[in-house]
Amino acid sequence: MKKWALAATGLLALALGACANGASDPAAENTDDLLDSDWKTIAAEAEGQEVNMYMWGGNENINRYLDDWVAPRLQEEYDVDLQRVPVNDAQDFINQLVDEKSAGKKKGSIDIIWINGENFKAAKDNELLWGDFAGKLPNFNEYINPDALEVAEDFGEPVEGLEAPWGKAQFVFVHDEKKVAEPPKSMEELAEWVKENPGQFTYPALPDFTGSAFIRHVLYETTGGYEQYQQPAADIEDLEQRLAPMWQYLNEIEPYLWRKGETYPESLAKLDQLYANGEVSMTMSYDPALAASEVMKGRFPESTKTFLLKGGTLANTHFLSIPFNSSDKAGALVAINEMLSPEAQTAKLSPENWGDLSALDFEKLSAEQQKAMNEVDFGPATLPLEELEGNRLPELSSDYIEVIEKGWMENVAKD
Amino acid sequence: MLRKIKPYLLLFPAAATIVLLFFGGLFDGFLKSLGYFPAIGETGFSLKAYSSLFHSDAFWDSLIVTIRIAAISSVLSAFLGAIVAVVVFMMHEKSRSGALNLWNRLFQLPLTIPHLVGGYVIVLLFMQSGFLSKILAKVGVIEQIPDFPVLVNDSFGWGIILAYTWKEAPFVALMVYPVLERIHRKWRDVSRVYGAGNWDFIREIVVPAILPAWTVAAFIVFVFTFSAFEVPYLLGVTYPSMLPVYSYQLYSSGTLADRPEALAVNLILALLTVLLGLIAYYFSKRWNVLKGWE
Repeated sequence: MKKWALAATGLLALALGACANGASDPAAENTDDLLDSDWKTIAAEAEGQEVNMYMWGGNENINRYLDDWVAPRLQEEYDVDLQRVPVNDAQDFINQLVDEKSAGKKKGSIDIIWINGENFKAAKDNELLWGDFAGKLPNFNEYINPDALEVAEDFGEPVEGLEAPWGKAQFVFVHDEKKVAEPPKSMEELAEWVKENPGQFTYPALPDFTGSAFIRHVLYETTGGYEQYQQPAADIEDLEQRLAPMWQYLNEIEPYLWRKGETYPESLAKLDQLYANGEVSMTMSYDPALAASEVMKGRFPESTKTFLLKGGTLANTHFLSIPFNSSDKAGALVAINEMLSPEAQTAKLSPENWGDLSALDFEKLSAEQQKAMNEVDFGPATLPLEELEGNRLPELSSDYIEVIEKGWMENVAKD
Repeated sequence: MLRKIKPYLLLFPAAATIVLLFFGGLFDGFLKSLGYFPAIGETGFSLKAYSSLFHSDAFWDSLIVTIRIAAISSVLSAFLGAIVAVVVFMMHEKSRSGALNLWNRLFQLPLTIPHLVGGYVIVLLFMQSGFLSKILAKVGVIEQIPDFPVLVNDSFGWGIILAYTWKEAPFVALMVYPVLERIHRKWRDVSRVYGAGNWDFIREIVVPAILPAWTVAAFIVFVFTFSAFEVPYLLGVTYPSMLPVYSYQLYSSGTLADRPEALAVNLILALLTVLLGLIAYYFSKRWNVLKGWE
């Protein structure tokens, strides 16, 4: 009897597996025609669809912007139901998509993903993205210059219409004016400051996105500029030696970090909490206006300010994309298009909602739309847009980032 | 015939789901740990991931930390749990009041709280700029916040041990209490007749009675703390991390090509857990945890 039961379960497992792999799905084939249909057909098909947007959920402001600003408008104007699905890291849904692809799942639950950089490269390399859809979006065609470098490339990787730009971000350091009267202007000055103020600084443990970005600034400054890294990592033969001054710098400041560098906050959220509690005097953000909105919420002290390095800080564009097996691609297109509208972008710019820089080409906006953007109040914690614009450094291609993230564990955390 | 098959038929949906999801996932992980990963174009098999793990210090450091923290947490929670259970039992002997019920409920409270929430509560309460530290600084017990001892994210793992002890002690008590309830009131009276005090009664009757169930409960706690992720992720240090966290670090950094190693860690964890489970099962069988009373 036991044998019988085992055989039966085995058979069922096989049958279920066959269902998942074998069935050809007419709906999945239809949606590929979407790329050839006009916008009216797409908008009509989108009506009544439920769109699941998978995104990093670690910031309450961003979550609220989507839930309270974007979602109700989509529901009302296009009858598209946007559901935000928070994840801890963009890597999570890339992993899920890889698994779904190897399992042959054609109708996935993910319709929109928020990605850039290494995750975009991983998704592109493994063919996890739907296709060249950006040119389908009316707002993309009207307000975005597709040839601008920050739109055409994502961390050095050609975008090829696989994703549409949603916003721009720039790395800033956040400090409490009362504790750090004169913020350091370079990594060298930061090291001095850290040594004079032991325990007051730290950065999130890699592979945290922001912690990883912090280290790239160290890389640029200690190894002689970003220009040398504009080629594929594999082309630099002595890469390990070139990275050595960066590890040396990080190990040199380690004994003076929070907790003497014995441990690092496991996430940016934890570092922000340490800052909010007053345990450290600085935090950092890849979002120039996030500190301002934390001050508005009363979480960060009123004396919170932000600063840049005199060599500039990293800037990047973040994108929205549609996975290969999205079940509601029409709805996803409509939702992404709406998020690229000048109204949505202006609302996103305001620190009350999020404080994320606009992805649109300012020149392409009407006088009225330009005025609306200029009127957004960033609060005292945010640097003026011109100052940010004038100090932007290009991002590092993701093959380097993989090397650095692995090396950090070995060279810094372990000692 | 049908009557014979019926129970199996009824069990079939549940069993099939478990086999498919649980063993399916385990099997998939096993294949990937051997480097078989068609989604990224790898279809060969090798033990490379395992051998590189066994040659890395990080893995061994992680294993040592994991064993240390799991052992201390389970011993502490086992003692605390047993003490709580015995105290509640002795109070029960004395009186049957409403206050007792309240104690009972209070000790059971941590059981209802998820580990993730429990871990985060420990962070908020015990971090250096946490709730407790701020109160102590306000009252003047410590001069400033950094004087508060490092209890969370410390390299020894006291934060994790604290969280687990608090969370698992009620579980041990819950496992032990039913055994205590089976001790007849008469035994107590008889022992008094022979001149046994409270302490003698506990030593001679209560402790031998609960020992089997108690050991098994401690084993279960050990196996759980050995392989759970969320508490060490929140309360641990960057290096060395406990094995589940180490696996996550491997899985989420670097490239897809590093995944076999992460999954190899998971399989080693699963294997050790099964081994420990078998040991616990062996002892529970041998000692007949709940039998042999009447």
